[in-house]
Amino acid sequence: MLVSIFRGKFAFVLKVISLLLISAILVMLAQQALASGEYAIAIFLGLATFALNFVYLTKTSIPLKFFLPGLLFLLAFVVGPVLYTLAMSGFTYQTGNTLSKEDAIVQIQKLGKVQDANGTIFDVGVGKTSANELGIIYFDSLTNEFAISTAKARTVEPASTIVKDDFEIPASSPNFRPLTDNEFSAVDAQISELRFFYNDEFYLGLEGFQAASLYKPSLRLDEATGEFTSLVDGDIYRDNGRGNFANEAGKVLEPGWRAPIWFENYTKLFTDERLRTPFIEVFLWTISFAALSVLTTFALGLLLAIALNKAIRGRRVYRSILILPYAMPSVMSILIWGGMFDTEFGAINNLFGTDIAWFQNAAFARTAVIVVNLWLGFPYFYLVASGALQAIPAELSEAAAIDGASPRQIFNKITLPLLLKILSPLLIASFAFNFNNFNLIYLLTGGGPIAQLDGEIAGATDILISYTYKIAFNEGNSNLGLASAISVLIFLLVASISLYGLKKSKVLEDFV
Amino acid sequence: MSKWLANNLWRHVVAIAVVLFSLFPLYLVIISSLNPSGSLNLTSFLPREVSWVNYELLFTDSRIPYLTWMKNSLIIAGAVAILSVTIGAASAFAFSRLRFKGKVSGLKLLLLVQMFPAILAISAVFVIMERVQSFAPEIGLGSKPGLLLVYLGGAMGVNIWLLKGFVDSIPAELDEAAKVDGASPMQIYWLIFIPLATPVLAVVALLSFIGTFNEFILARLFLVDMSERTIAVGLQSFIGGQYSQNWGPFAAGSIIASVPIVIIFLSLQKYIVNGLTAGSVKG
Repeated sequence: MLVSIFRGKFAFVLKVISLLLISAILVMLAQQALASGEYAIAIFLGLATFALNFVYLTKTSIPLKFFLPGLLFLLAFVVGPVLYTLAMSGFTYQTGNTLSKEDAIVQIQKLGKVQDANGTIFDVGVGKTSANELGIIYFDSLTNEFAISTAKARTVEPASTIVKDDFEIPASSPNFRPLTDNEFSAVDAQISELRFFYNDEFYLGLEGFQAASLYKPSLRLDEATGEFTSLVDGDIYRDNGRGNFANEAGKVLEPGWRAPIWFENYTKLFTDERLRTPFIEVFLWTISFAALSVLTTFALGLLLAIALNKAIRGRRVYRSILILPYAMPSVMSILIWGGMFDTEFGAINNLFGTDIAWFQNAAFARTAVIVVNLWLGFPYFYLVASGALQAIPAELSEAAAIDGASPRQIFNKITLPLLLKILSPLLIASFAFNFNNFNLIYLLTGGGPIAQLDGEIAGATDILISYTYKIAFNEGNSNLGLASAISVLIFLLVASISLYGLKKSKVLEDFV
Repeated sequence: MSKWLANNLWRHVVAIAVVLFSLFPLYLVIISSLNPSGSLNLTSFLPREVSWVNYELLFTDSRIPYLTWMKNSLIIAGAVAILSVTIGAASAFAFSRLRFKGKVSGLKLLLLVQMFPAILAISAVFVIMERVQSFAPEIGLGSKPGLLLVYLGGAMGVNIWLLKGFVDSIPAELDEAAKVDGASPMQIYWLIFIPLATPVLAVVALLSFIGTFNEFILARLFLVDMSERTIAVGLQSFIGGQYSQNWGPFAAGSIIASVPIVIIFLSLQKYIVNGLTAGSVKG
């Protein structure tokens, strides 16, 4: 009976219906992606749809039926972003260089304009002509006549037909009506981009809804060479290969675009003084932070494990209390500690009768970070060290005791070396984890304190990952290319550390 | 007596000292959540008066949509837990019980990919989801389903590994017997494996729930609207470095949010410790 659910027609129909539904959704998304020019995403969705149907409607591969959904998620949200990070690290991808080259050229042409020498400005009314074209109506003080300009043409209107508004500004004529409220809000979004014909040299650009100035383009794009020529001083702006058009003096046109620069994001970490100094400082602190964290948490955890490695009274109670810091959601604990380190009202200063500004001073901030991480992390090593102590055969220390070794000798020569051997993969894993312990740094100190004067974004407690985050999401000056390059470096480092740790443990041997 | 002292006293001294260290912040949070003034300033470490006013504030003050945050967290963490285990269990079954070409290299690759910490790829995830948002706002940046998808992807590597470890520990005799009787892999999976593995799957689901509940940075980048935030992001932005002002309600809020997690954690202690020695570190 039960078997028939998984084998019969019912199961087949159910399978086909769910496949159809999922395919329909994926195809719809793929179409939307295609329509907005996201080809990579569209291709992935298309391939995913094909793979799903192929695997579940044929009998090609039974294992694939089991892990295809997991595989697709991994590809989309882990492998995809990893590859994308790799790609981004080879580009200039930062504030001012976020567009594609085509979009950047369009923007440069829009922005490249100069006013006429006298700074002529007309009072205008914005509206529509009788042909329903967007236009402006104004008194032209240069020629002393009323006129209507649309994008393509300028027509002179007889003064007698002009109707003015309360401020004596031309508003309408038999050929021209003001905008309705709805039309105003539609135009508002693109107001700075509108151009109205004036003469062959100049056009009228709006300064708000009541005035227009005479402009002429300041740049001319040479389609053949792909260079911009300044119409003001004749300078030629060429693609500088780094995502900008620049003239000989190095002046660039805004905006730029994402340009491939290969390994420059990597090399400039080591060659550019302004980047190298903070990078090395942050790197050194990251190593010390991770090492100190592992050392302190392991030492305290081990001490506890040894102390409680005997059935003393109250051991169960101790144990349940000691793992509380580990059981608490760490985000909450870190925020709570943040409050406790408050200078004026915090419990730490209160307890010791001090008035230390914990997060304003580099040394104190670093101490605070280590103390909080000790609190968060020692129960982990207490738990694993307890387990490891149980796993060491008692015969070894008994034999040593019979041979006359003191308890201290037994610990130093037998227990500790064995423990380290058992726990070394976990110590390495813990090092790798703390190397990227973003939450602690971000929530406790925000990476600070920062030496404000040198305009640097790295703080005294910033570790590589929080530094990278700041580079990537810094308001007004984000550099995704550089951040990606650092991410890749961290990955290489952490992966080699972890692989070394795994080699030491038996995880890989299990299936190799 | 002196022998007892020499052997046991130091053990109690060490234990009690660390117990005090462990309990100090927790004790402080509890008494400040009961302190009606709501201020961070503790004139004494002993409570003078006890009131529930901070707890009431959480549910009445319009500046703190505490219930909404809690609901968001529960929905997202719950959905991630159930879906990631559903998808992960099938993959883990394949990796543990089926034979196929490329299994070993697949597992190695999984391991390697998993070592690229999710947070390193965060700018790429951000840019990709920004693009998704441009054509499908309901699953892109700023939406709960979008965040859910990213979590699911990120949890997959870890969960498959964790689940594979558990699945390996379930004896294979039963499904081998079924195979001899002519059962297909699908039948083995649904009729034998799933009923056997249900307790293990529940444990992994709960672990995944805790992990997601505790996740901060993706949630912060993704959910900007006040009413879309999770509890971790909500409380962080509420306290916002201004510890002196909102301390009382914050303390109360973090206690309510932590209690269920602590209870789940303590009841799963045995499994978590086993998982720890297998090399996974809680985030």
